[in-house]
Amino acid sequence: MRIIVHNAKCQGHARCSAQAPSIFTLDDEGYVLRGDINVAQGDELLASRAVRSCPERALEVDSSSAARFDPAAIQPKAGEA
Amino acid sequence: MAINPVPDHVPPEMVRDFSLFTSPGMPPTPNGDPHAAVACAHDGPPIFYSPYNTQDGRGTWVITRAADQRKVLQDTETFSSHRSIFSSVLGETWPTIPLELDPPAHGAFRSLLSPLLSPKRVTALEPAVRERAITLIDGITASGTSCDVMKDFAFPFTVGIFLRFLGLPDQGLDTFVGWAKDLLHGNDVERPVAARKIVAFIDELANNRRKDPVDDLMTFIVQAQVEGRRLTDDEIRGIGVLVFVAGLDTVAAAIGFDLAYLARNIKDQELLRSEPDRIVLATEELLRAYPPIQLIRVATKDIDFEGAPIRKGDYVSCATMIANRDPEEFESPNTVDLAREHNRHAAFGYGPHRCLGSHLARREIVIGLEEWLARLPTFRIKEGTAPITCGGHVFGIENLILDWS
Repeated sequence: MRIIVHNAKCQGHARCSAQAPSIFTLDDEGYVLRGDINVAQGDELLASRAVRSCPERALEVDSSSAARFDPAAIQPKAGEA
Repeated sequence: MAINPVPDHVPPEMVRDFSLFTSPGMPPTPNGDPHAAVACAHDGPPIFYSPYNTQDGRGTWVITRAADQRKVLQDTETFSSHRSIFSSVLGETWPTIPLELDPPAHGAFRSLLSPLLSPKRVTALEPAVRERAITLIDGITASGTSCDVMKDFAFPFTVGIFLRFLGLPDQGLDTFVGWAKDLLHGNDVERPVAARKIVAFIDELANNRRKDPVDDLMTFIVQAQVEGRRLTDDEIRGIGVLVFVAGLDTVAAAIGFDLAYLARNIKDQELLRSEPDRIVLATEELLRAYPPIQLIRVATKDIDFEGAPIRKGDYVSCATMIANRDPEEFESPNTVDLAREHNRHAAFGYGPHRCLGSHLARREIVIGLEEWLARLPTFRIKEGTAPITCGGHVFGIENLILDWS
């Protein structure tokens, strides 16, 4: 899952990092860092909650990646099972 | 007070008899619920014109929907926040800073101040905030089974933290709160007197810190640079006045309304007391239900906005308490649901002027509720007393006598 960060819209509410501090890092002024974010498997629910917490609508789940079925996500990784 | 006539460009059918100052529930009201009272704004068209909707009797457009308020507050080119709301009380025009500066001038000052109130900085302040709450509450419980939350807790708690942040002594607390009260809720005579006192105080403080620097906000401001230069006297005053006024009244009002709600809703009170982990989420819902602020912008050009013929110079009101009761944004907006998720309320505004103190305000409310609920048994509004609430530019609650005998 990939999150598009619209930095121009970020106004430093910091709700994303309150929801998911490990995914959303803030700068010294309290605004989300520049650049889109690739979310690790397992963090996707948390990340999408954070996206839905932004009052400015500055975060967006990249639908081109979210909608795509990713078979790797359900297959055991090497060394497991 | 003179009421401005409705401008010719406002279609008569868009004028509504609604005012944050004079509508039912807005003047001081015993056992009032001014936030619920303004929810009626959603019974009509999403945008309308109120002929009397500022402290000085001006008309404003009223933007009721959260989505529309977001558009207005994000579009600083069309909707300027330079309206000299404080200095106009004195017949002057200097802006409070950064609130009444528009981008791009706004950015440099915002960047100067943002780090002082960032989430990281607020986390560092948390132990002192908690200690202050505990000291006050322990004093209250030691001296009886009843108190006036506003006088004994909400104001000394929030204003005390704030004075420490500013570098001012606690002894000034009652004086400062009195000035803020006169400025925000006073009459035409009291308001300029209070404004003059605040300006004189800030100017003197700045002078003192120039001569004898210490480790506080005002010293930081007089020594700071923006765009490679020192700040002018007007800029220093603009910042000082804004920070001073913004911190004196709002969080105390929020805590008052929140504790009044919990005093009247024992089930919710017991839920938060027995499961304090819920307080952080509950605080967001209480911020949604009981925000104290109205935001005003001035149109910089003619624009037809969502069907409203807004003309250059028109005032546009984005009342956070109205957006927060928008049924298109919130399911059952008039129900307080302390477990509400995805709560993108407007309590701190939208756009570049998002409340600079929002992170501190949140922590103060959370910590205030945590310590209050942990240290007091079930509390109710004392029999025979009635909290007096009021609407206006900043919603307030004058007294809140709680009883836990």
